[in-house]
Amino acid sequence: MIDSIVSFLATPIVTRAIIGAILIAVVASTSGTILVFRGLSFMTSGVAHAALGGAALGLYLQYTGIAPWFDPILGALTFSTVVAVITGYAGESGIAQKMEVAVGVSFALSMSIAVFLMYYIPPTQVPQIWGYLIGDILLLDNLDIVLLSGTAVLLVVLFIVFHKEFIYVSVDMEGSIAHGLNARAYHYLMLIASSLAIALATKAVGAILVYAIMVAPAAASNEVFRSVRGVVLSVFVIAIISEMAGLAASFTVNASPSAIAGIIAAMSYVVAMQIRKFRERASILAAGELEESGSSTASAVGSDVLVDEAL
Amino acid sequence: MMSSETLLEAQDLTVRYPEGEVALYKVSFSVKAPSFMAIIGPNGSGKSTLLKTVLGLLRPTQGSVRLLGYDSVRDGASIRRMVRYVPQRDRIELSVPIKVKDIVLMGRLLKKRPPRIASRRDKKIAREALERVDMDGFWDHPFNELSGGQRQRVLVARALAGEGPVLMLDEPLAGTDAESQRLIVQVLGEYHRESGVNVVMVTHDLNPIHSLVNDVLLLKRSVVGLGRPCDVMDPALLTQLYGPSARVVEYAGHRYCVTRDTGVDRHD
Repeated sequence: MIDSIVSFLATPIVTRAIIGAILIAVVASTSGTILVFRGLSFMTSGVAHAALGGAALGLYLQYTGIAPWFDPILGALTFSTVVAVITGYAGESGIAQKMEVAVGVSFALSMSIAVFLMYYIPPTQVPQIWGYLIGDILLLDNLDIVLLSGTAVLLVVLFIVFHKEFIYVSVDMEGSIAHGLNARAYHYLMLIASSLAIALATKAVGAILVYAIMVAPAAASNEVFRSVRGVVLSVFVIAIISEMAGLAASFTVNASPSAIAGIIAAMSYVVAMQIRKFRERASILAAGELEESGSSTASAVGSDVLVDEAL
Repeated sequence: MMSSETLLEAQDLTVRYPEGEVALYKVSFSVKAPSFMAIIGPNGSGKSTLLKTVLGLLRPTQGSVRLLGYDSVRDGASIRRMVRYVPQRDRIELSVPIKVKDIVLMGRLLKKRPPRIASRRDKKIAREALERVDMDGFWDHPFNELSGGQRQRVLVARALAGEGPVLMLDEPLAGTDAESQRLIVQVLGEYHRESGVNVVMVTHDLNPIHSLVNDVLLLKRSVVGLGRPCDVMDPALLTQLYGPSARVVEYAGHRYCVTRDTGVDRHD
């Protein structure tokens, strides 16, 4: 039994899927956390879909012979970076509304470009574009793993070296600049590194899984945990659990691993909201009790005064 | 050096927002250092804009402003080394679960180079600053779980823990409870007396601080008046600033200004 499990896990497809899942969890716990702190998690969806538009453009340029050297992944990285920079520019002032419009517009634009170009790409190549949307963690190749590892290492190094700056910029942009921090540089460094990671992850496992794993665990953890370290670790754990459950489901009941992982990740947010509500209710109850004991002493003092006056 | 004796000096300073609205128009004044200075005026009178322009966060459309002799545009980097800034409390993003200690240490670490490690001395100074504002019990507490007044006290502690000859605070008393207000005013006054550090404070209510400040700038897009607190407690000036509802009352040897702005944070 154990032997058969070990030999199953050792098959290249399964090994690559597990490594891929761990790398995506690393991306989520660094980049996903920072984007939620910065109030830019919606950007993930814009960037992931931009990758799809960029890949379509890459395929089009390759197959029409305009630029045979232009690999679809180059298009994906370029489009994603452009969307990240535009959203970052709109969100720089911290106005969420502007940022949402920027994401919405670039979302629509990249999807339209993708659909438009699909008519000019040989039908045999079209599934490659749809792969960016739906993807499959079981279809990772060695190049995917290499690229994902590279971006995960880059994000971890950036996070370790600059996490204070990223957090300062998220907490108090104005104060950070006033104290001499080059806040804009860190703002864009954070966004561009994230967008590269999101684009590569999108190519590897598809926009839907990327969005589910990048946003929901970070949002859920931020509702519940009371320290940055707690949030980062919790995102990693939720992401790994969702992805592993997805993989296990795909092997046992033949379900789509992305779909199961996405559903579990989304559920983590629902659970987190419940925990938060429960906590708030508990604290209101506690405060009410305090107030009750406070008002009873106040009325006792009040009656003393009355007695004094009567005397 | 002559210029270093002037804390703040504006010449024909005009600041226009990108949307075209003129926030400051031909503002000229000069205040000598060292000083505890208040900039007062109703909402939308350009007080915060003036601070942000001094810090180089906004560029003047015309004219110039200098802090301790340094020009806001040309010497931005020098100004940022000298200043410890407390932004309006609602500019602080509460979605990040940062601890009180990290907020206070931020005042010191922002002026270091990456990786900005807090030394034992940094932590000691940060703790002392929290003690001054009576928040030393909250060292490991999440900042976003504090009340408004407590958060403001922590932000003041961040400024006290920092280094540099000028402390700039944007509405540090707005929307805080009476106890926090009293404490912040007292701590700033003591700190200014002990250390000689200049304090520039934007507020819409002069009353809580009028016994502490040396210079008061009345601002309503342009300079309405500048002088010692007793001089600016003048019905004519205050009516010009706040409108006909402004009154000056005398109580226990002090003059107080009564306007619709008094006491509570007025954001209309």
